[in-house]
Amino acid sequence: MPRHCRIILTLWLALAATAAAGQGLTEMPGRLAAPGFALKDMDGRLHRLSDYRGQVVIVNFWATWCPPCREEMPSMQRAWEQLRKEGIVMLGINVGEDEDTIFAFTGSYPVDFPLLLDRDSSVIQRWSVMGLPTTFVVDPQGRLRYRAIGGRAWDDPKLLAPVRALNEE
Amino acid sequence: MRDGIHDRCRPFSGALAAALLFSTAAAAAPLSQGRDPATGLRYWQWRDGGILFKLTQRLPDQSRGFFQARGFDPGTADRVARACVFQSMFKNTGAPDSGTVSIDLNTWRVLTAGGPRRLRLREDWAREWPRELDRAARIAFEWSLLPTRQSYAPGDYNWGMTLYGLPPGARFDLEFRWSRDRKVFKGTFRNVECAPDIHLEPAGPG
Repeated sequence: MPRHCRIILTLWLALAATAAAGQGLTEMPGRLAAPGFALKDMDGRLHRLSDYRGQVVIVNFWATWCPPCREEMPSMQRAWEQLRKEGIVMLGINVGEDEDTIFAFTGSYPVDFPLLLDRDSSVIQRWSVMGLPTTFVVDPQGRLRYRAIGGRAWDDPKLLAPVRALNEE
Repeated sequence: MRDGIHDRCRPFSGALAAALLFSTAAAAAPLSQGRDPATGLRYWQWRDGGILFKLTQRLPDQSRGFFQARGFDPGTADRVARACVFQSMFKNTGAPDSGTVSIDLNTWRVLTAGGPRRLRLREDWAREWPRELDRAARIAFEWSLLPTRQSYAPGDYNWGMTLYGLPPGARFDLEFRWSRDRKVFKGTFRNVECAPDIHLEPAGPG
């Protein structure tokens, strides 16, 4: 097939793929302060959102039984492997499940960013989340800057560009 | 321009035309329905007006298993499973500058021979749970349903169950609504069928 025909076909396929995939991050109006929390991770270590003041924080609300949460988890791990070197924090907040359930899950979906336990769902209620997964990006001043409802390909450089830009502000 | 792109692509024009035809047909036909080849479960899909909305049947046994694994006693799990459960997906498929789409499931209508009715929403179930139902089960139920109200920026989506409060095998029409830029839009799925309460057996040898 001639090169220009391949280009036309490739462009069409790319457009179709773009239409099917989840897209980028939505800027949140008002730069409101992110609701604080103090939650334990799988090792019992306490994490407060305020511990990370001065850093960009990605906060992902998820559950093991949620298909799009499972689907995006490997890309979150790949993103984390890059972002941790840049001083960006990633926190996964599990909603309503116990350590044993999450431990079993990480056997199939290994991640090494902190997984926090919101056992009584009190934190997710304060963050005005309506469905899982929902992910927020908090700026170094502790303000809500971006949101994504539904799964994303977190290791996509285009998706991460605004996150990295916050790190440069 | 005889020697243009058109002429040189002519040998491949069949594939390109098929691709174009497929995309045009997809854009022109908002409604589609079919059967998942792997599971045999039926689905209804709407793709138009900058949204994608899909319902896929869930067998009562699937829902019994899901909720019992999350702390429901067999009796309560059965009551939920027999309430006509669908796996649902709602997505804002609009262009990046097309604005937010909002839904409120309180405005959707289930049309049956007995008249219109509302869906059975998170809030309806929360009022009915037995006192002894544990916290983890309540939380899993709440978050596994499609949100009652949600606003979707372009690219945002939710998966979740929707429940219609009808017996297995019942049929109904669903009027669903969404809004964009303060305008309300409506779509209808006709003759939607709740999954029958069948129990699949493992295939035998040979």
